[in-house]
Amino acid sequence: MSVEIEARLLERLLVGDQQAFRELVTTYQGAMRAVAHAILGSRQADEAVQDAWLAVVRSLPGFQGRSSLKTWLLTITANAAKTRYKQNRREVLLDDLPSPHGTIGAERFSGDGHWLLAPSSWHEDTPEALLSQEELRECLEKTLIGLPNLQSSVLLLRERQGLELEEICNLLEISLSNVRVLLHRARLKVFATLEHFEDTGQC
Amino acid sequence: MLSCKELVARSSDYLDGQLTFAGYLQARQHLLFCKNCRRFIKQMRLAQATIKAMPEPVVDDTDELVQRMTEAHRNRNRP
Repeated sequence: MSVEIEARLLERLLVGDQQAFRELVTTYQGAMRAVAHAILGSRQADEAVQDAWLAVVRSLPGFQGRSSLKTWLLTITANAAKTRYKQNRREVLLDDLPSPHGTIGAERFSGDGHWLLAPSSWHEDTPEALLSQEELRECLEKTLIGLPNLQSSVLLLRERQGLELEEICNLLEISLSNVRVLLHRARLKVFATLEHFEDTGQC
Repeated sequence: MLSCKELVARSSDYLDGQLTFAGYLQARQHLLFCKNCRRFIKQMRLAQATIKAMPEPVVDDTDELVQRMTEAHRNRNRP
């Protein structure tokens, strides 16, 4: 969102314009959910996002524009999620879960580190062509849902929301090296799903 | 020279610009000679772009949220 559009939206938000609230929700709900999901998991994430929206309305007059609207909203969301999350400290941060189509693991390489089973060429080479296949879309969604909370959130915040790695560290209060590990694991699982689909034509 | 396995292990850092300059050069050198890993990186980029292009799940409770936000805004001006 450009600075001018953001400024105009802010004016309307400050007077309580309902349509402006609607625009804000539809634009940023996805990113906010990803942040809450990372901190709380799926069960309480939606509630934290609701808390966050109400906090946003209360805090709007104090918004100084020192950060982008998006960064401000995500910070409020992270705080709301952390408030909800007190007793049940996150399960061990780097716990991993198996993914439906696995990952690119050691079994793909020989002892000297060469590919044993090299990636083969794919039939499609654009996201649009890949996603036009409904079965693949559903298959990818399944893989994303199967990722541990932090992995899926970090992946979505990076790839879909375009956040810098440092922003993700700050929001989720995890180290840069952990963000890198989580992101890499998630990407390899997505890769394995695409590869499996391209090889076999099914999920 | 990096092995393919090492290149794959560093592929996310390569894509995110997280490698040191020396690490980046090593990766570039490997890619120059390795067709398999070039394909792997190309497919990783495609995987990234695909996640980005996936439709966002629709917000199913927009109306309710907007309603609550409007109320919160109205009440804010009350003592």
